Amino acid sequence: MIRVGMMSFAHMHAGSYAACLGQLPQVELVGVADEDEARGRAAAGTNNTDYYDSYDNLLKQNLDGVVICSENSRHLEMTGMAAAAGVDILCEKPISTNAADAREMIDICRSAKVRLQTAFPCRFSPAVAQVREVVRGGRLGEVVAVKATNHGRMPGGWFVEPQFSGGGAIIDHTVHVADLLRWYTGAEAVEVYAESGTMFNDMNAEDAGLLTISYDNGMFATLDTSWSRPKSFPTWGDVYMEFVGTGGVASVDAFVQRLDLYSDENMTYGWSGWGSNIDIGLIRDWVDCLSSDREPSITGEDGLRALEVALAAYRSVGSGKPEPV
Amino acid sequence: MFNVAVIGAGMMGSLHAGHYDALPDSRVAAVLDVRPDAARALAEVYSATAYGDIEEMLADGSIDIVSITTPTPYHKECVLKAAAAGKHVFCEKPIATTLEDGLEMTEACRRAGVVFMVGHVLRYFPEYASAKRLIEDGAVGKVGMVRTSRGGSFPQSAGDWYADKVKSGGVTMDTLIHDFDWLRWSLGEVVRVYGKGLLERAAEHKDYALITLRFASGAVAHVEGTWMRPDGFKTSLEIAGSKGLIAFNNEDSAPIKLAFAGSDGAGVEAVPQSPLSAEDDPYRLELADFLTAIKSGGESPISGADAVEALKISLAALESITTGQPVEIRR
Ligand SMILES: NC(=O)c1ccc[n+]([C@@H]2O[C@H](COP(=O)([O-])OP(=O)(O)OC[C@H]3O[C@@H](n4cnc5c(N)ncnc54)[C@H](O)[C@@H]3O)[C@@H](O)[C@H]2O)c1
Repeated sequence: MIRVGMMSFAHMHAGSYAACLGQLPQVELVGVADEDEARGRAAAGTNNTDYYDSYDNLLKQNLDGVVICSENSRHLEMTGMAAAAGVDILCEKPISTNAADAREMIDICRSAKVRLQTAFPCRFSPAVAQVREVVRGGRLGEVVAVKATNHGRMPGGWFVEPQFSGGGAIIDHTVHVADLLRWYTGAEAVEVYAESGTMFNDMNAEDAGLLTISYDNGMFATLDTSWSRPKSFPTWGDVYMEFVGTGGVASVDAFVQRLDLYSDENMTYGWSGWGSNIDIGLIRDWVDCLSSDREPSITGEDGLRALEVALAAYRSVGSGKPEPV
Repeated sequence: MFNVAVIGAGMMGSLHAGHYDALPDSRVAAVLDVRPDAARALAEVYSATAYGDIEEMLADGSIDIVSITTPTPYHKECVLKAAAAGKHVFCEKPIATTLEDGLEMTEACRRAGVVFMVGHVLRYFPEYASAKRLIEDGAVGKVGMVRTSRGGSFPQSAGDWYADKVKSGGVTMDTLIHDFDWLRWSLGEVVRVYGKGLLERAAEHKDYALITLRFASGAVAHVEGTWMRPDGFKTSLEIAGSKGLIAFNNEDSAPIKLAFAGSDGAGVEAVPQSPLSAEDDPYRLELADFLTAIKSGGESPISGADAVEALKISLAALESITTGQPVEIRR
């Protein structure tokens, strides 16, 4: 049995990761640790596992891996604890709120010989993976540009308190697509220009971000990270990328496999998705890594590279100029 | 009845001629083109006179209006001559390839006392006009993030002038100026422009641009223009505000989709269609508005000054593409 623990349910993705772990027969979900006792006990109950009131106690349970879903600002602290206990890590994105912490996480794990994986579940969307093959297969010719969006709704809570999240819509919604573009093309971002603002809500973090990213192979991309979906929008948001090549165009809209649901109950129209669960792909891959001695498929460095794009965007917003990554 | 002379009997010239013919107050009296065959062919349709020499045509005192649909770099000369001859002038967008030219044309028409309108026709497209009305009605609250997209395959033309980056300015000047004008009309002045694009590859029949605009209001727009889309002409619009969102794309709103069985059983799809009644045709409305302004002695519905402002945004975008730096728009 692969013994896995969950460190903090501050990030809502923890619920889905725990449910996915519960589906895998080779995994034993040993427990949930959370300093918010009510939240931790509820999560433990839902997932038929034990609640631990201390991270150290959980880490003493002879674990093979932990999933870290704390606030972004605490990823370093949690990673330090897990690495000290010699436990492999799956860390929620973004890897951290700043590059120094992210580098320290990578270094700590390397010295402790602990494997650090960043949670980028979009790589496990079958549609996203299939269009990667199209792009890499060369039928589009030279890919010259990408138009991308990762729209969402304002999530609230600690996500909009920069001391915990590192910012707003830019840090939250840059990293998925930034990672996918590297994964698709192998190109590295070299420069970012960004416009942003707090346009849809009254709060301290930005809820709109529009990045233009230049790559080392000459390709350019734009990425709209805005939490611009109104409350009445039929779904939470999107992950969309359109690749423009000299030989054609290819686009992928990762979350449009759906039923349209019109309900008189509360006068709403919404989407009921039926696409493959991308989180189970991520979790299966990570558990496979835990059961073998291979490197994680998505490393801490991958997490850092994606974060660096968001950080360059914030610098650009500050300076009004394109900034090197 | 206004007698209209059409200069440039290409794609747009033919389109305009059809509308002048159909409108009750105007008729096509003359057609001029540097290609005599093209002038003659279009003139014949409307029993008009074909010309090869502009001075000769302008000397005809019965001509009231000159409608210019030549490639962009020739707009200036035609406008200046038409204004000097006292004709009212309609000119296709972009007004010119430089601001100086655009200002000179505007000033010449003002001095001549003729009505001068530039064809920023998007203002007459019902989807764009309705979106502007919704914004003004407060339907989405304060506008924040706007996304527009326009384009299809590389445009074809007599002499392949779209492939000449100096003549056409590529997709950023020729095509995106439609969206720039509509955005400015709907959201107010632009203060900063940043963009990436492939203008240098126009000669290879490729161009693509992604432009970011920052408005004085604080709103931001993402403007996509493509001449690299093999799957048909597409437009889309999304306006996200503090209280809601407007979304449009031409495919989802096209009422007609056709597919036919081929002889081998394989299907053949036709381009989706979105017809409007003749009186709602945007080009018809545009030219009708022009004629109304002449008749009433009113202001030009889309002035040279407006066209110069739209051109400023295109030129700023091209400058940003070249320098890699954001460009502030001064006024
Ligand atoms: N409003 C719109 O939707 C729209 C769409 C396409 C083009 N346009 C604009 O309309 C203009 C014409 O574009 P088009 O696609 O019809 O081009 P086109 O190449 O099809 O037609 C241009 C015509 O002008 C003629 N011509 C060239 N130089 C001339 C000159 N010096 N004097 C007289 N005739 C001359 C050519 O022989 C040709 O027949 C351009 O400014 C373009 O940007 C507007």
